[in-house]
Amino acid sequence: ALLSRPAGRLRACRGLAAGPEMHFGFQTVTEEERREKIYQVFESVAKKYDVMNDSMTLGIHRVWKDTLMHKMNPSPGTLLLDVAGGTGDIAFRFINYVRSVRERQLQRKLKHHQNLSWQEIFESYQKDKFNSLGDSQVVVCDINREMLKVGKQKAQHLGYSEGLSWVLGNAEELPFDNDKFDVYTIAFGIRNVTRIDLALQEAYRVLKPGGRFLCLEFSHVSNPLLSRLYDLYSFQVIPVLGEVIAGDWKSYQYLVESIRRFPPQEELKAMIEDVGFFKVDYENLNFGIVAIHSGFKL
Amino acid sequence: VRCQHHPPLRALQASAALRRASDEHKKEPRTSSSQQHFDSPPAGHQPEQESQGPRPSYTGQGGQESEDYESEEQLQHRILTAALEFVPEHGWTAEAIAEGAKTLGLSVAAAGMFHSDGSELVLHFMSECNTKLSKLLEKEQKLVQLGKAEKKPIDEFLRHAVEARLRMLIPYIEKWPQALSVLLFPRNIPASLNLLTSMIDDIWHYAGDQSTDFNWYTRRAVLTGIYNTTELVMMQDSSPDFEDTWRFLENRVADAVTMSNTASQVQSTGEAVVQGLMGAAVTVSN
Repeated sequence: ALLSRPAGRLRACRGLAAGPEMHFGFQTVTEEERREKIYQVFESVAKKYDVMNDSMTLGIHRVWKDTLMHKMNPSPGTLLLDVAGGTGDIAFRFINYVRSVRERQLQRKLKHHQNLSWQEIFESYQKDKFNSLGDSQVVVCDINREMLKVGKQKAQHLGYSEGLSWVLGNAEELPFDNDKFDVYTIAFGIRNVTRIDLALQEAYRVLKPGGRFLCLEFSHVSNPLLSRLYDLYSFQVIPVLGEVIAGDWKSYQYLVESIRRFPPQEELKAMIEDVGFFKVDYENLNFGIVAIHSGFKL
Repeated sequence: VRCQHHPPLRALQASAALRRASDEHKKEPRTSSSQQHFDSPPAGHQPEQESQGPRPSYTGQGGQESEDYESEEQLQHRILTAALEFVPEHGWTAEAIAEGAKTLGLSVAAAGMFHSDGSELVLHFMSECNTKLSKLLEKEQKLVQLGKAEKKPIDEFLRHAVEARLRMLIPYIEKWPQALSVLLFPRNIPASLNLLTSMIDDIWHYAGDQSTDFNWYTRRAVLTGIYNTTELVMMQDSSPDFEDTWRFLENRVADAVTMSNTASQVQSTGEAVVQGLMGAAVTVSN
């Protein structure tokens, strides 16, 4: 019975390629249709993406993303791949974090070398000055050209230049080689991936041994009272905000429905473990409205 | 609790998924073989080897390798041990752990497996030192039993044991105050207290302490006091080879021994006095 399982899975895998039923929010569509619809959703919301995030979550999404960065605790020299990173929120936070850690590092090094002459201190400062990020780099990968465009504009506007790369790519089939990245993040993106298992496999593939997988995503609230309030807010308020602010009711209807369709914490944890990650764990933020899943490639 | 204990079925799924992924993406099977031995199966159940061959060994192919380890815990121990080398430079921090992980060929992100305050590193170091001390004392005890060495008097034995243990701190002495403060975090207190008491227990055990009465507690309390105070003195000792510290230690041990002698003297004097009084009372009543 054990031997038949892998073969059965392969069969199922090939079957899916033919275009079975998938969910798009609460609708039922084929795989191809789903990809296209999602692409259109993000194409249309790209310009108002950040504004909508702020108004829907009352700015709390910033705290969520900060928490993710804090949990990652990257040290200078880390190579980060931010998938579905679109408008660059995670990437910018990463750069800020690494920059401040690097500053502290340099300060500590200077304190250590207090017995050096002024000349030597000045020279060492010059040497490290061109390394304010400590060789850290972030690659922002997104399937949607519009989102990347908005992200690049934001980067220019906010003054982020070094250590940042923008790549067009599909989370289910990343254009990167094996064992390349230290950390892989996907923040509020994996919900929109059509084949989550493929995305997880790709994540595993491109991570270095010892690398970390981090997923920040809307999840399930178990508290019944809170769940009712959350549902109320999601289905009554958010699409209205979508229409008023972005002029797009349907995209935000999709957003809310896709959150409900997404696997809950334990199920996602099992999927991550299935792909081969170890020490898989999740942390609920705001009672499960959002969860951060973490796993290591060991 | 993070560790998962899934049946070996899971290992098979993982390797099956990886083999599928490797078929689709033409990946080398080296990483899939590393999954095979992660979940140590219960006795009697062999996970299907499926042409994975013998246990994968640590190969250094261009910086990428399979892990040869039995469990997450062993890997974590290896990382922490490797991290100790970087403590003098980075302190007891996640950075030291990240550097340690790097030397093992892992990504720096592996340091994310541990707390960001370096607690596990300090506790790991303490536990390693205690193990080393036990082995040392055991070896010496064997020598005494074989008649190859003299049995030390109690005060010399205690001095020797505490000095040996404290000497292990010397390579990290500059950052040890930081370690002490980490050990005082509320979350770490149960673990650090545990390590301290088991070390003291060990020393008394090898000193030949067989007491089963109240003495057991007093002895441990006294030695704990001696150890802690000597450790603190060592923190700010700048004499060559810490001779001030060892002299302090000698004095404290001598004090303790004197105190216990005095205590027993007081006890026997007290008994004598009581007997004298009783005798006088009997005489008077007659």
